[in-house]
Order: sequence, then structure tokens, then C-alpha cells
Amino acid sequence: MRKRLITGVIVATMAAATMVATTSASNAAAIDYSKCTDLKSCGGMDALVKAAQKEGKLNVTTLPRDWANYGEAMDLFSKAFGIKISDDNPDGSSAYEIQTVKTAPASKIPDAVDVGITYGIDNANLFAPYKVVNWNDITPAYKEASGRWFGDYAGVIALSYDTSIPKAPKSFNDLKDPAFKNMVAIGGDPSGAQEALMSVFAANLANGGTTGNVQTGIDYFKSMKTSGNFVTALANGQNFVAGAYKVSFSWSFNGPGAVTTAAKAGKTVKYVIPSDAVIKGTPYVMAIPFNAPHPAAARLWTEFLFSENKGKGSVDLGSTKGMSGSKIFAAINGGQNVWISGGALPIEYDAMVAKKTNATAPAGYEIPAGAKIVTPTPAEQDAAKAILKAQWPAIATN
Amino acid sequence: MLPLLPFLAFTGFFLIWPVIAVTIRSLHGNKNEWTLANYTPILHHGPYFHAFVVSLKLSLMTAIIGSIFGALFAYVIVKYAHGKFGAVIDSISAVFANSGGVPLAFMFIAAFGVEGVVTKVLKSLGWDIYAGHFTIFSFTGVVLVYSFFQIPLMVLVFKPAIAGLRKEWEEASTNLGASHLTYWRRVAVPILTPSFIGAFFLLFAGGFSAYATARALTVGTVPLVPIIIGTLVDGNVISDQANLGDALAVGMIFVATIVMAGYIWAQRAAAKWRSV
Amino acid sequence: MAERMKKFSLKWPLITLSSFLAFFIFLVPLYGASVYSFKGNGGKGHSWVNYQWLIHQDGFYPSLFTSLKLAVLAGLLNLLLMVPTMVYLNLKGQRYKSLIDFLCILPLIIPVVSLAIGAQVAMPKMLQNSEYELVFFFVIIALPYTYRALDTSLQTVALKTLVEASRSLGASWSRTIIRVIVPAIRSGITGALFLTFALSIGEYTITSLLHWETFPTWTVVAAQQNILGAIAISVFSFVSAIVLLAAIALFAKKRSKRVEVEA
Repeated sequence: MRKRLITGVIVATMAAATMVATTSASNAAAIDYSKCTDLKSCGGMDALVKAAQKEGKLNVTTLPRDWANYGEAMDLFSKAFGIKISDDNPDGSSAYEIQTVKTAPASKIPDAVDVGITYGIDNANLFAPYKVVNWNDITPAYKEASGRWFGDYAGVIALSYDTSIPKAPKSFNDLKDPAFKNMVAIGGDPSGAQEALMSVFAANLANGGTTGNVQTGIDYFKSMKTSGNFVTALANGQNFVAGAYKVSFSWSFNGPGAVTTAAKAGKTVKYVIPSDAVIKGTPYVMAIPFNAPHPAAARLWTEFLFSENKGKGSVDLGSTKGMSGSKIFAAINGGQNVWISGGALPIEYDAMVAKKTNATAPAGYEIPAGAKIVTPTPAEQDAAKAILKAQWPAIATN
Repeated sequence: MLPLLPFLAFTGFFLIWPVIAVTIRSLHGNKNEWTLANYTPILHHGPYFHAFVVSLKLSLMTAIIGSIFGALFAYVIVKYAHGKFGAVIDSISAVFANSGGVPLAFMFIAAFGVEGVVTKVLKSLGWDIYAGHFTIFSFTGVVLVYSFFQIPLMVLVFKPAIAGLRKEWEEASTNLGASHLTYWRRVAVPILTPSFIGAFFLLFAGGFSAYATARALTVGTVPLVPIIIGTLVDGNVISDQANLGDALAVGMIFVATIVMAGYIWAQRAAAKWRSV
Repeated sequence: MAERMKKFSLKWPLITLSSFLAFFIFLVPLYGASVYSFKGNGGKGHSWVNYQWLIHQDGFYPSLFTSLKLAVLAGLLNLLLMVPTMVYLNLKGQRYKSLIDFLCILPLIIPVVSLAIGAQVAMPKMLQNSEYELVFFFVIIALPYTYRALDTSLQTVALKTLVEASRSLGASWSRTIIRVIVPAIRSGITGALFLTFALSIGEYTITSLLHWETFPTWTVVAAQQNILGAIAISVFSFVSAIVLLAAIALFAKKRSKRVEVEA
């Protein structure tokens, strides 16, 4: 108790109201969880968990269960802390998340968002500053100094294909073969969907283009369309099962989920990182809206996602009844490791490797030896979008 | 005028008011300043202008196909499907007319896709529809899929007009010595024309703004205005152009107003023709 | 003789042609999708597993109930609003017709995305906190169909004569509408009601943008990680809506027959 008071005083930047709250941390209700800026000012893990459990609910938005292993992250969090998660519009986009934060009625505002980096930068004023315990392990280039948003995970563009096709593709160049006629598809409109945009960057790189100019990538798809290899179908689970396409481009972190889901529908899918282009995306970023309706749960969820713990998954975890918050937290897998087991590259990966706390990544998503990893900057992405907006619709003219 | 008040109050609050809100937003820039900048990209011959052209082309084609075949179906149903069967057809049409989005796109992929049911049957008969450049994920494909809801919509809105043709009129004209053809030319067609025009414009407007289906079927390769609006409001990539989407929506309302003016003119002309 | 021949030569070609078209455009795609929904686990064999999976999902019945409830309310509100309006327009308010027609076609032209955004900006928060706000927007997006269906059928009846007769017999306006006009334009009313109902029960865009859980938005959440289940959901929604409406239509028909007999 006394120690807490002292730490509260030491954190000089803290608002006076928060300090008062900190002095009475034994009484969790007195802390204003919508204002506390790190675990200490939130009263420590035990108090935070207690407050989050009292709120009992967490609003998340646009998290597909297959996406970066979020299904497991949600199941584990829910089971461990007994907090119900409601996921609004799992197929939605970053713009939808921002729109929701701005316009939804109070009770439906998401407690945390996971958006493309440009959305974090442009909307920083919508988010409350919060620094997770592992703040220092987050790459400086991908976080806002006061903690309004911070990078969470990234992926690499992979080729995903149906193993029943006669020839297994290994590179963008392979796909030009007439054997792939009517087989290759993309996951959306590259001027509007991040994954598709990065696929064009990858095709561009594979054919000798630079990140500053995606013309070569557009020409690649154009010639693939002329040869009939590229079908303008939307790459998604249903279309895949119906045989509308056989090969597509996808984030590596969607691989493990997609493989399991496809298997249930009777299809065998394999992911491979193309040998002629390794494009790593800019990381997605996490942020807590100012007006989050469950501020304690929001902060607990964020701490959980940025935890480097190696513990139990949702299947192995037993009952946590009667355990203190910090004990539960220590017993379960941290979000960073949940992401690793889903094939994503979490933002704290390097620090975790140094500390040897990283879980084993699923096999088959290895970057080919000697490949150069390229990440287009946000400015380069904007330039590419401008060209794509004018040229992409003209790819198919029939 | 008084009996219209509930309607005007209702549409005023739930329709016009939100539209005004969108219009006001379209006149604002990213920093909340007043500006016309959101409208400039539409007027230049760039991708947005092109999208308006493609949208108009698509809605015109699907309205023509939908209204002609829908009228044919409506006639056959009124003439030959009576009683219970007719009631069932009404229900089917209502559901079909409201279908769209991912489920509808999937149905056509399952039927006409590379491995679709129809594709396979035709292939076994020696006709590979995918040998050339046809795909269901193209402008032609979108036109085909749109018929799935345009035709039933036409059936629903045009059927009452055909049902309203009285048997006595046909008998009277036959008694007066008119041939079947003359009856159609001089009596039935003039009576049906205003309803047909009305229904046609309804289909046109519906085709103009429908987007979920085309969006689920293509990857930005059939650029339609509503899809672009959706991408602007709901995309992952562009972070600061939601207000441009509002401007495009206002542009659509503008285009539609012109079309509606043509529609009202056509209705009046038809009414005049009928009275001659 | 010539007359007879003409009738014979037209009837069957027309029926054959339309059946053929209907088969290709409507039935084949539905069949194509349902084939996938009847595959068993791991995509093997034929079975009902995907449908069994569907009805055992948490939230299946509650979300279905919500959708039915909202659709019924939207259908009723729509008729309550539009039948008197349309009767007035066709009886006395001819000169306002173009204006109302335009207002009614607007919801078709305004992209639903924009309408939903506008609604979030403009609607009072109190309304936005209740799922019943959807009823109002379902009515709005059904207006284009309701207007046309009611208008077409009102034009086929001798409205003026009916109303004058009823009023001169001392019937009130509401009685005239309910007892005289409504039965006369039954086909238009059924059409309007069915369209509103079918539209409301399947509406996704506005519901999703306003963050409500109805059957269509629930299915998107439920169908994740189960591709065949997702297809089963589409087929189920489609077929059950048709069956439901057809049942109502047949029931209504039976009743109306009985009324006619009694009268």
C-alpha cells in the first residue's frame, strides 16, 4: 500500500486525479480506469483483473477467428478471466472500426481496435494513451510516443494453394505457366484491401519492380489476366470450396486457420512463402478508444495481447476460479505467443527471442534462405494506391 | 395535403435528415473545414467519372433485361398460373427480388464457375464455356447475376398491371372486329405502358445502387460507384477519404434526380398518349 | 378457328420458354449452392450435418426471433403508413404524386452505406440505443417497392366509384379504407407486405453498420471457420423465407375465399 503511494508520486506526468486514485488502490472502484495510463496507475494486475471482471464484458470489433489466431486469443481470454467477448462485424475493415468509434452509441463503442497503421496515425486523438508492461520491447518506429497506438503484429505475403493441382507453385514466376489457367485469384481490390495491396507489391518485387513504383506488379496481373491464369474472383473460403480458384495470395498469419477450416470442408491447402518476393507488411496497430465502455477490460485485453508469457492455451487451461488476477495472468499464454502459434510475427518477437520466451512457430511458413525482406513504407503504399485506383479496373475489360 | 403529413414527417426524419447529414459532411474536408474539394475528383475524367459510366451502363442493361423478361414472366403467370401456384410464385419472387450479396454471388459461382454445375454439364456436352475469355467474375457475369433479382422484382411490381387488364376489354375489342394483335396494339399496350415505364425506372435505380453482389463477385475489376463508396467508407487502405464517399453519394442522388425527371416526363407523355 | 389456333400456338411456347429460363436463371444456381450445403464432414458424402450444426449454434433461435419480430413490425408499419398515403394520392392528391414518387424511389438510389452513416450522424442517441430503430429503416428501404406495388394495384380499381359508394352509405374514412379499398387491392398489399418482410428479414448492410444482431448479422459471426455451414446458412435463409411467405400466402388465400363465400 505504502509502496504504491510512493510509485504514484514518482510517476511525475500522472494527473492529480489518478494519483488520488492510486493511493486508494485497495478500493478498486476508486480508480478511473478510463484514465489510467499503465498497469501501475491501474492499480496493478490483481486490481485490474477484478475491475475487468466486474465490468464482465469486452467489445471487440472486426476480428475474424481465422485472422492471426484471434479465435484462440478470444477463447483464452474469455475462459481465463470469465469475461464475455462480443465481436462486432468480424468481416469489417479498419475504416469500419474508426467509423464505429466515432459514431456508435456509447455501449457499442469497441474497447480496443486493431487497425492498419495509417488509421492509427490519422486518428490518434480518438485514443487514450496507455503503455503496456512490455512497452520497451515494441519497435520504436511503430508506436506513438505517449501510447495512443502501438504496433501489434505483422505478416508476410504467402502463396496459398489447393494441393490437388498438378503442379505446386513456389514463386510468382511459376504462376505464369499455362498449367495455372483459370486458377489464380486475389483477396480483394488492391486499392481498398491491405492484403491485396501487399500482394501487388510482392508481384512487383518478384518481377524486378521497386517499392517506389508498382507498375511492374500491375503489368504482371494484366498479363496474367490476358493469358487467362488470373481470375478476377474474390479469394475467400466459399469460392475456394466451389473451385472458383486454386491459388491465391494471403498473409502468412492466416495460414494455420485457413488450412484447418478448409480441411473441414474437404480441401487440402498449403501455404508457401514465394521464393522470388518476400514482402512483410507494416504492422497492424492496437489502440484503446477514449470512450471505451469497458475501460478496465480494454486495458486487461491489451496487456494480455502484449504479454510475452509462455503458458497454457484455451484447451489446456483448467478452472481459474478463486485464483488472483496476477496468478491467472501468469498461467496463460501471452497474446504475443498466441500470434506466433498462428503464424504471425508479433511486434515483440526480437525481444522474446533474446529472452527465449517465444513459442515455436508453425512449420511451413519459413522465409526462404537468403531472401531479402522488403516492407513498403506508408508513403509508398499511398503512391501505389493512387496508381492502382486508375489502372486496376482496366485489368479486366470483358 | 394534410393526409400526406404522416408520410412526409416519416420520410423527412428517417430519410431526408440523414441524407442532409451526409450532404453536409461531403462539403467538409478532413480538418472539418468547409470545402468543395470532395467534388473535384468526380468531375475530372478520372476513375470516379469512369465508375459513373460503368454504373449507368450496368443499370441500364440489367433494367432492360429485367423488365423485358420480368414482363414476360408476369404475363405467363397471370395468364396460366392460378390460385395456390400464383400465391407461391409471389412468395418466391419476393425472396428472390431481395437476394444479393455473398450468398447470391456464391450461388452463381456454384452454378457457372469454373467447376460449377452448369459448366460441368456443358463441358460433358462438348462446350467448354471457360475455353475462351468468359468468366462469371466479369461485367457479363454481373449482368447475369443481377437478372436473378431484377426479373423477380419486375414480376412483382408489374404483375398487378397485367392482372388489371379486364377480360371484357379484350372481348369488347374482339366483338368490334379487332384482331388479337390490334387489341394488344391499341388497348393493352397503351394501358400497360405507364406501369411498365415506372417499373423500368425502379429496376434502373435498383441496379444503379446495388453493390453487395457485384462486390462479392469481383475484385474491383468492375468499378461501380456504390462499390467505391463502400470501399471509401469501409476499406482498409484509404484512411482519410470518407467524405469523398459522401460526395460520391450526393453525385449518385444528382444523377438519379436527372433520371427521375426523365421518368416523370415519360409518365406524362404516356398518359397523354393513352388519353388520345 | 383461327382464334383457337392462335391460342394454342402461343400458350405452350410461352410456358416452355419461361420455364426453361426460370430453370436456368433461378433453380440451377440455388441447386448449385445447395449441393455444397449437403456435403458431410470433411466434404465427404451427403448429409444434414451442416444444417444440424446450424440449428445447434448459440444464438440461432434468439437472432431468428429478433429478425422475425422486426420484419413483422416493419411490414405492419409500412402498410399503416403507405395505404392511406397511396389512397389519398390516387384519389385527390394527384398533383403531389411526382414528389412522393421521387421520395419513395430515393432509398433505392442512396447507397445503403451512406444512409446508414447518415443515420448514425443524424439520429438521436436514444433511438440508436434501441434495436427497434431498424424497423424504421426497413420501412424506408422498402418504400420503393411498396409505392409501386400499391400504386399499380390502385390504378386497376375504380377507386373513385368505390369510395363514393362507401361514403354515401355513411361509412367513415377508416372503415372505407379497411372494408372497401383494402380488399379491392389485396394483390398489391400482399406484394408490398411480402417485399417488406423479405427485405427486412434478409437486410444486412444497415443492420451491420448500426451494430445490431439479427439473423443475417449473426450468421456472419457464426459461419466463421465453417465454410460448408456458411453455405447451408445461405440456402436455409433463402428456402425458409420462401416457405414462410408461401404458407402465409396460402393461408390468406384460404381465408379470403371463406370470406367471399360467407359474403
